[in-house]
Amino acid sequence: MSTQPAVDPRGPRFAAIVTTVVLVVVLATDWWPLLAAQTVVFAIGAFVGLRPAPYSVLYRLLVAPRLQPTGEREDAAPLRFAQAVGFAFALVGTIGYAFGVTAVGIVATALALFAAFLNAAFGFCLGCEMYLLLQRLSPRAGSAS
Amino acid sequence: MTGLIVAGVTIVAAVVVGLVVRSRNGRIRTSGDGGTVTSAAPGGRAQDGVAPDGVSADGAALAGLPADVRDALTGEPADVTLVQLSTTFCAPCRQARALLTHVAERTDGLRHVDLDVTDKPGIARDLGVLRTPTTIAYARSGVELLRVSGVPKQEELLAALEPRLSGARRPIAERPEGGRPTE
Repeated sequence: MSTQPAVDPRGPRFAAIVTTVVLVVVLATDWWPLLAAQTVVFAIGAFVGLRPAPYSVLYRLLVAPRLQPTGEREDAAPLRFAQAVGFAFALVGTIGYAFGVTAVGIVATALALFAAFLNAAFGFCLGCEMYLLLQRLSPRAGSAS
Repeated sequence: MTGLIVAGVTIVAAVVVGLVVRSRNGRIRTSGDGGTVTSAAPGGRAQDGVAPDGVSADGAALAGLPADVRDALTGEPADVTLVQLSTTFCAPCRQARALLTHVAERTDGLRHVDLDVTDKPGIARDLGVLRTPTTIAYARSGVELLRVSGVPKQEELLAALEPRLSGARRPIAERPEGGRPTE
């Protein structure tokens, strides 16, 4: 994990802002294909890498050239974990919408929005800091400890 | 329409939670603050902050702690040991580690131990810790003095621990390199 390249911390912040907007649009329109696309975006960030993640590419192409370069770097592992958490919620939401269980779609999307907004507005990575809580809630944790 | 309302409510809730978390970041809590810390470990937190350094409760306080924490305290005893709980997935843990290592190096009688509990959820559960980084200050006896969630604030932490440190405190001028200055 530690061998992963560190990233400019403003990239993930930008990604969180885009994610927030996308999720609000999903909730406002119930247009689930957009949520499906967001699910794919999360999946790339979580399972492929942050560099090829679409919003990171967007950041590098559009935003980074307009900002002062920074020497600040952030470890990639927490960010990829957060993307995986986002992926899980977005996947449940997409399935909910797609199969007509709109309530599930709305709730899952709202939870993803909650986390994305906290990251965008406060720089607070809910999934990362709450890892212990998530672990405790997951059924695996019971047998692991 | 329902979705739009849900979106609005979600964002309002996130703002509230964000403000609460921000205000709690780095704030020092002792058991007297109540509520936030649970007494999951039997005997572990019964007398903290109250007993005179746990003179009589030595054994009990240490015995109530998870083995890794106990080892951290007894391995190289100090007046105060800061046990930081971290996970691999936690970015502010690195900032906290940098800060606390820096502070401990320059303060007599103060030690810092970083425990990675990514694969040891039992420790976090026994200590009632839900969030990382959480830093718990232990007296030599194993009695808990205070705990801090998020990245601690150097001056406040030192001020709170000062009565517990026998050595004279040296002033710390510069901040550690690296890490982000703010969150």
